[in-house]
Amino acid sequence: MELDLFIRYGPALLSGFGITVLCWIVGSLGGMGLGFLIACLYQWSGSWGRACLQAYIEAVRGTPFMIQLFILYYGGPSFGLLLSPVQAGIFGFIIYGSPYFAEIFRAGFQAVPTGQFEAARCCGMTEWTIVRRIVLPQMLVSITAPLTNFMIILTKETAILSVVTVPELLFETQTMAAETFTYIEPFLALSLFYWAMVEFTSWLGRRVERHVTRHQNRQTP
Amino acid sequence: MKMSSVLGTIVAGALAVGLSGAANADLLADIKAKGKIVAATEMHYAPFDMLVDGEYQGICHDLFVEVAKELGVEVEFLDLPWSSVLPGLEAGKFDIVNAPVTITAERMQRYSFTLPIGNATVALLKKAGDDSIMKPEDIAGKAAGSQKGSAQLEQLKHFGESLPEAVDVREYVNIDEAMADLAAGRVQAVANSMPLMGYAAVQRPETFALVTPPFGDPKYFAWVARPGDETASLVEAINAALLKMHEDGRLQAINEKWLGTAPELPTEMPAVN
Amino acid sequence: MDFSFQVISHNFPYLVSAARWTILISFLGMLVGLLLGIGICAARLSHHGWLRRAAALYISFFRGVPLLVQLLAFFYILPYAGVNLPATVAAFLSIGMCSAAYNAEILRGSLQAISPGQREAADALGIPPLALWRRILVPQALRIGLPSHINELILLVKVSSLASVVGIGELTRVAQNITGQTYRPLEIYMATAVIYFVINALIAWGGRRLERRLGVGQR
Repeated sequence: MELDLFIRYGPALLSGFGITVLCWIVGSLGGMGLGFLIACLYQWSGSWGRACLQAYIEAVRGTPFMIQLFILYYGGPSFGLLLSPVQAGIFGFIIYGSPYFAEIFRAGFQAVPTGQFEAARCCGMTEWTIVRRIVLPQMLVSITAPLTNFMIILTKETAILSVVTVPELLFETQTMAAETFTYIEPFLALSLFYWAMVEFTSWLGRRVERHVTRHQNRQTP
Repeated sequence: MKMSSVLGTIVAGALAVGLSGAANADLLADIKAKGKIVAATEMHYAPFDMLVDGEYQGICHDLFVEVAKELGVEVEFLDLPWSSVLPGLEAGKFDIVNAPVTITAERMQRYSFTLPIGNATVALLKKAGDDSIMKPEDIAGKAAGSQKGSAQLEQLKHFGESLPEAVDVREYVNIDEAMADLAAGRVQAVANSMPLMGYAAVQRPETFALVTPPFGDPKYFAWVARPGDETASLVEAINAALLKMHEDGRLQAINEKWLGTAPELPTEMPAVN
Repeated sequence: MDFSFQVISHNFPYLVSAARWTILISFLGMLVGLLLGIGICAARLSHHGWLRRAAALYISFFRGVPLLVQLLAFFYILPYAGVNLPATVAAFLSIGMCSAAYNAEILRGSLQAISPGQREAADALGIPPLALWRRILVPQALRIGLPSHINELILLVKVSSLASVVGIGELTRVAQNITGQTYRPLEIYMATAVIYFVINALIAWGGRRLERRLGVGQR
């Protein structure tokens, strides 16, 4: 183990880690937002609208992230869409994550009995208030675990961004490996970084889960 | 490898696991005993290595086929992403890298090079009709791409530092993608070896143009094997085959077929700094 | 914008032939993942503390480290330990080992749905633990978890593209190669996306048929 390598490449690895985290957080929050929007649209649209949304969900879920990124980054210029690597990475992440998030939210909607929607409407609540005050708090209980799980999957998908030259963690590690002809040390370090990210996400997920289920805990004697 | 032989490979592989522990005393003797040499490259480096309709072609393909004939063995070619090629060699996944690898002092400490097989001096490729880049120095303040982990990338970075305005150097996994970005306009120039850049400009004159002259130190491409006694006889045999091809004109003919001209290649190991 | 269908039709046969590797790697990976997953799930639920901890560590590691890194390690670092696997074997073994972690967790969830009475009954009848798992628990758990296992297989089809790093000419790699030669990324990657989509749609369709035949969801 050559420790001076890590001193030399430490700054590059840390900056790569920063970009990984940036793409992961912005991309997954964006994906969550888009997914939520899709789930809401699905909830309130007719059969044609639903068919269109379903087609989008299936198309994105049925193809690898790498191919989606390639289409976006290398195919995009053919129709005038010229994105920088980081833009393509974040944009790609939002598109890639949205159908999975949409499905999680849709399952969450279904967990709320329709009677509650009807009752809320009778009370004169707007659709948005119903979502915010009635659906979301209940939904969070059942969707926190799948959301955490998918966030974990996304942490690792960030590695794929290296194929469109996003200078993220794997990209910097490969540079280090290529320049120093060492392969074991950089990849060990890389694994630790990802593992730390995943453990942090699961820890955060458990905390959020405790928070959103706090009312349930009170009920149990 | 054909699909039908997959199961055979799996079984053979499972058996090989138990046997691979034994150290190979002499790689050349092993290769001759098997009657086959396994060579790896990334088939993304026209005109040296490329895939045309699923078939491997190029200077390195033609040269290596001739070399294998001289050795009296068959060749199996592997296509690996560049970042996997040198680690794969070190891990003993194949016998030799028949990709054009630039000879550098740093790599010489790590690997065993054959005699030069191509010119690796860096040149720039620009978009056709881009009048803002007429000589290499004109890339000051512009974005230029090159291949990650390549010696040409190092040369580009060095060259960039000598310019009054910094060059925004972008690193690509393979050089085709750098050229795709040049065509898309994300970078204004791509730096790589002279033959590669010249070939792209000739193949796609409507998109690319070569910027002359080349810059940086003169460099050469060669193939690489693992270092040490195990591969010494193999490298020697390949060098002997290359020298023979220098003499009987095959080396020149193959270069002319792909490049239109034949580069002056040294018949002994060039000095590197 | 000029979209050339001719580029697609010319190169389509190469893409389809590469797709066979994609299918082979992902299905073999799934097979390894299921078999190994059953063992890991059993260890996870074992009476022995150390077995449980080892299984939990396995799951945490293989779910925590990107598959790309696992593949590179399998292919390039294992040889230093004297294990030199051919590319195909390295690819489906390492995809399988990663998938085992996910399959084990799916199985664990399914097992919870099987009433504990069955286990007690098996105990009372003196059925040994191995037979209990093989004849009673696993068949039911696989049936209950079928939709999730199908989902896992679809994920494997998509991640099999990573096998290109160890030199397998699967669909994504071949698409990259063709793009390098034709300079037509949009057409080639679109065609590639369609092939992946068709493979996955077929798996999903087959999965639904299998679910109906096995009566998943019925008790």
